[in-house]
Amino acid sequence: MKRNPIELNDGYFDRYFDEVLSDEEQDALNTWIKADIDHARQFAEATMLHDRMRAALVELGKEQSDIEAVRVSPVSWIHQERSNGFSLPFLGTAASIAILCLGLTWLTFGQATASAASRELDRIILQSVRSADRTYKIFVEQTVTPKRNGMRWPPQEERRPPKPSLDGATLHVGNNNRFVLIRKTESGTPFITGSNGETSWAVNPMGPVRVSNDLSRFNRDLPGHESSLSLTNIHDGLASLRRAYDVQLSSLGPEEFEAQVGESYRLLTAVKKPNERGPQRVEITYESNTGRIQNMRFVQMPYGPDRLDLRMALVDENPLAPKFFDHRSHHASDRPIEKE
Amino acid sequence: MDDNTRQAMRQWTLAQPVVSAYVTSIVRDFRDRDDVLQEVAIAVIESFPTYDPSRPFNGWAIGVARNKIGTYLRERRRSRLVFDGETVELLAAAFEKISPERVQQLDYLHDCLGTLEGRARMLCELRYESDLKPAMIAGLVGMTANTVAKSLQRIREQLRNCVERKAALDGASL
Repeated sequence: MKRNPIELNDGYFDRYFDEVLSDEEQDALNTWIKADIDHARQFAEATMLHDRMRAALVELGKEQSDIEAVRVSPVSWIHQERSNGFSLPFLGTAASIAILCLGLTWLTFGQATASAASRELDRIILQSVRSADRTYKIFVEQTVTPKRNGMRWPPQEERRPPKPSLDGATLHVGNNNRFVLIRKTESGTPFITGSNGETSWAVNPMGPVRVSNDLSRFNRDLPGHESSLSLTNIHDGLASLRRAYDVQLSSLGPEEFEAQVGESYRLLTAVKKPNERGPQRVEITYESNTGRIQNMRFVQMPYGPDRLDLRMALVDENPLAPKFFDHRSHHASDRPIEKE
Repeated sequence: MDDNTRQAMRQWTLAQPVVSAYVTSIVRDFRDRDDVLQEVAIAVIESFPTYDPSRPFNGWAIGVARNKIGTYLRERRRSRLVFDGETVELLAAAFEKISPERVQQLDYLHDCLGTLEGRARMLCELRYESDLKPAMIAGLVGMTANTVAKSLQRIREQLRNCVERKAALDGASL
């Protein structure tokens, strides 16, 4: 079957596979394919490769996961740290040791190049996208309220009601904008916000459960939201480091993390560029073999009038139940629901 | 497992790469593709007794896939099909004619993917393993969506050449 020849620009097949053709281009492709059985054959051949790439790369990814799965879980140090409590003197000592070790490491290994750091950031992002559900514990190390034109901000009692503290909060993160953040109010009642990727929601201790189609609706009282470094969307946060930060890389000795023999960690430090918004510095500690993030530290992170030093530590990577990111999993079934 | 089922599974294993590609040619989202393909596999095994062995198995299985794609898209109310009925039919015929040798050549892809390094490998993993589209990948890797799409095009071309080169070398050494 031959019809009038139709020219097709280079890359139409690829752009069809990647879903970036315009409606007009899609129509042109449709017309081109049915104009000649040989066109259909060419398209089928190209699709064979594209389809097999999916199978091959998923297989390679599984092989990689299997290699990682046989390694001993490296999160035990975090559990130990939690059970021992988390005191400022301990932090001070740990910070001093860390600084000393970092200095020695720096002298020993020298500073890695910016391009190496950028490659490592790529690897961390990839690992982060690949990962299934993760659970982090959040620790607020320091809160500073800077002076404003020589004046301090009004005392807390004169400001809006306090937000539930992030210190000790638990953050569950999945792919596709899914998260559940569990904080506690001063009375110890859970205040839970989250998103299932389609709607965001807030379960207050009192009043109705609020649900919104705006996925960022209940992110706004979290640090990092306004600087694209949202704690609840780690992929996007990592991606924005590339744009707004200078990244540097260094190696860490296993003694700092009580790691198993043979494991090593690296520290990626991102320092904010002038005139960009966000925390002054972000430190990411990750496994050098896999790129899996163990610890993220945000230094001088803007949070309303305050500046926080905040740390997120990976505590679990087990998959969560499919409904876990829905609000109904976090409140009694008879609670009223208010859609915004 | 009875003989009938065993035979159905053997035939399906051989046909699966072509049927999978046929489904992908119409259902581009890989997660949807995986769901449809699973439905097709079940339907092929269950309705194997109705298969006429005097006709090519691939053609019959592609026919089953066509029905399943239609059902799936109707149920999920997905966006409109890019291809009309005539094109879908022509594609079915084109996929049916793909030779087993051509399918086998693609076994070299695993080795060829091993030659990809750095950014190229990352783009492939984000696109194929994580099933992200260029706009999403662009945000993660600090490139524009257009550059990502162009890079993926170049990578596929590179892999195609690699597969053909390896197949030709192996053919020559036989």
